[in-house]
Amino acid sequence: MSRIGVFICHCGENISRTVDVERVAAEIGRHPGVAFSTDYKYMCSDPGQTLLKKAIQEQRLTHVVVAACSPRMHEKTFRKAVEVAGLNPFLCEMANIREHCSWVHEDREEATVKAIDIVGMMVERVKKNRVLAAITVPVTKRSLVIGGGIAGIQAALDIADCGHEVILVEREPSIGGHMAQLSETFPTLDCSQCIMTPKMVDVANHPKIKLYTYSEIELVEGYIGNFQVTIKKKARSVDEDKCTGCGVCMTKCPQKKIPNRFDQNIGMRSAIYVPFPQAVPNTPVIDRDNCTWFKSGKCGVCQKVCGPGAVDFEQQDRLVVEAVGAIVVATGFDLYSINEKPKGSAIKGYGEFGHGKIPDVIDGMTFERLASASGPTGGKILRPSDGKEPKQIVFIQCVGSRAREKGISYCSKVCCMYTAKHTMLYHHKVHDGQAYVFFMDARTPGKSYDEFWRRSIEEEEAVYIRGMVSRLYQKGDKIVVMGSDIAVGVQVEIEADMVVLATAIQPQKGADTLAQKLGISYDKYNFYSEAHAKLRPVECATAGIYLAGACQGPKDIPETVSQASAAAAKVMTLFSKDKLEREPVVARVREAGCVGCFACKKVCAYGAVEEKEIRDRQGNLVKIVAYVNPGVCAGCGTCQATCPSKCVELDGYTDEQIVAMIEAL
Amino acid sequence: MKKKKMIISQETMDIDFVRKVEALADTSVRRCFQCGKCSAGCPMATFMEHPPNRVVRLLQLGQWRRVLEGRSIWYCASCETCSTRCPNKVHLASIMDALRKLSWDAHGPSKEGYVQLANKLFLQNIRTYGRQYEMRLAAVFNVKSGQFLKDLMLGPKLIAKGKLKMFHSKNKNLPEIEKIFTRIAEIRAKGEAL
Repeated sequence: MSRIGVFICHCGENISRTVDVERVAAEIGRHPGVAFSTDYKYMCSDPGQTLLKKAIQEQRLTHVVVAACSPRMHEKTFRKAVEVAGLNPFLCEMANIREHCSWVHEDREEATVKAIDIVGMMVERVKKNRVLAAITVPVTKRSLVIGGGIAGIQAALDIADCGHEVILVEREPSIGGHMAQLSETFPTLDCSQCIMTPKMVDVANHPKIKLYTYSEIELVEGYIGNFQVTIKKKARSVDEDKCTGCGVCMTKCPQKKIPNRFDQNIGMRSAIYVPFPQAVPNTPVIDRDNCTWFKSGKCGVCQKVCGPGAVDFEQQDRLVVEAVGAIVVATGFDLYSINEKPKGSAIKGYGEFGHGKIPDVIDGMTFERLASASGPTGGKILRPSDGKEPKQIVFIQCVGSRAREKGISYCSKVCCMYTAKHTMLYHHKVHDGQAYVFFMDARTPGKSYDEFWRRSIEEEEAVYIRGMVSRLYQKGDKIVVMGSDIAVGVQVEIEADMVVLATAIQPQKGADTLAQKLGISYDKYNFYSEAHAKLRPVECATAGIYLAGACQGPKDIPETVSQASAAAAKVMTLFSKDKLEREPVVARVREAGCVGCFACKKVCAYGAVEEKEIRDRQGNLVKIVAYVNPGVCAGCGTCQATCPSKCVELDGYTDEQIVAMIEAL
Repeated sequence: MKKKKMIISQETMDIDFVRKVEALADTSVRRCFQCGKCSAGCPMATFMEHPPNRVVRLLQLGQWRRVLEGRSIWYCASCETCSTRCPNKVHLASIMDALRKLSWDAHGPSKEGYVQLANKLFLQNIRTYGRQYEMRLAAVFNVKSGQFLKDLMLGPKLIAKGKLKMFHSKNKNLPEIEKIFTRIAEIRAKGEAL
């Protein structure tokens, strides 16, 4: 005979406001099998847990039901408390009377009756719970980092410095990401290249880091501690082992007028190229779409001039499989396009800003390349149209961001600061020029950030105009900027030589596809979702996958680096144990009844079902049955629903338990 | 108030004038981030076409003519509430003072002709008599401003109480005072008045 203890939580007032908890406790006390029932203000608090433990011992309870919040919130808490009191933790269940009852109902009487039903059902279910032991699975102490920007680099270095192997995968030919494109960084104005490239070199030289550049994630299988990742190494057409990085191929390549994406297409590169001189690895890649050899079968100059014979036109894409225990996703961001809106995009463009038709209307990243000492102009601020130095420059903030009607309602967070930085860089380089900024709000939370913004106005003489721009149009070689100053309350007109738009930050293209491969969730903008906005900000809801950087939401460099290190710390926590304990809520096959149809194997999304031979004592094969690998099973229950002979059951959710719950109603 | 569109460029932003205001007021208009605290506490703001925060904003954009065209600077009571409360230490009361002073020489508009007239007559009296001769000031002001009967009934009362003298008395050191005026004129001619 079971002696069940039921504990009803008030959750402060969250539950007791709508549910008469005392009545629930009294009524459930009369339920068959219930030996003890009580209510308490905060069951999860220390006195609450003590109450639970004392009751288990004094009342000799065999099962426990805690009626409180969602099991997602506190199941672990109470199971731990139950275990301390000497009971098997899996004999404790939670009845959710907060999210499923008090929060969604207003009528006290009806909510109370529903709460009694929910608790009653859970009592019937817990009666049939089995004693379970946690499953241990081995942990592969290698980590995959997706994305070689500052986030990925930081996470990879931190994990590798702890002695664990890291596989760093980058889609572009070089690591470095967006940070490598920047000129100087706020709020200290240190040169991005100077602080970035040493880290890139560290990655390349680190004995524990295996670098896959020009590669993409093809497939992710497995689960926390045991992932199998298939990586597609795209054909570089240059043998990485043979290439010495001398660069002769690039100087001899006859195709030299290809816009370089790294320079926001204002600089040119050859068909065989490295995106920038400080690239890591310093191995060129052939852009097959623009290479004469690949287009017409002629040329081949690079192959002829290559001393070590590294150029290999025959190279094919290769698939590599790596086993890892944890994954850090650091795919970063992309900028809202100021040109024609992409096909099929829900985001509307800015027709009033010329849709990218005015050549001297550029975005912030292009300005970074112009201001960068290693950029296409050697650090001179020059107009893309005629190469003249702009004397009147206008910056427009919040282009795309905070514009619900244009499709993005969030704030891109970094634009206020980088625009302030741009005005300073401009002032340092064009002494007789004047910078104007149109803005709605200046959002500068961060250490030394507001001071930096004020400096751009008070010392660097940028004129900030609160109010937005209605229209840009070309007039001769000037761009007329029509806006308003809402502090004065009049319209404003400026004839500018160049206009820089602070365009919104968006997730990388293909972020959703990668999320689907990884099985992680993302929001409507394709930013990856963390498990908990406040308390688990670097973990995904999917165990073993962590987030770093702007793939989760707009972030600046300090924040990105912090998050990357935090993600690395999480990975190291996982790797600190040799075995990983998993919840034993997995499917079991009743082998006596299994006919070996393997319908379960076909539907299992996790590949957990295996074939098992049953032999008699003489070793003769009796039959082949299904076997669920408890290390792989995720406890989804699909096999249980599919099995025609009702021979697979999920612990804690057996047919018997479900029927008992229904009958309790 | 004019809602005229602002054409902003390095030419239309007369920052030199603003620099003079800043030097005279010993403060900086660039520090202002338009929180509106000055206008919130200003007892005279309801009478001004440009409330105090907008005066600073217009100065930031070098649009001082718009400020001087209006009456705001003359309505300012110099109570210094704005200066006391400003989070950025923009001394607005001093800026108002500076603007009033500079409006004298500024080749531009100052609609409030009466104030300018009163100031001018006041100084003329000092120069002529070496001290103020109120009776003459009031009479000339009324004649020149065309308000002949303005405050006329106050005269007898003030005379009775000895507050208004019928006849002037000259300062003994008139030549010295004349020297002061000459020197100031020289300084102003050189543009060093600030």
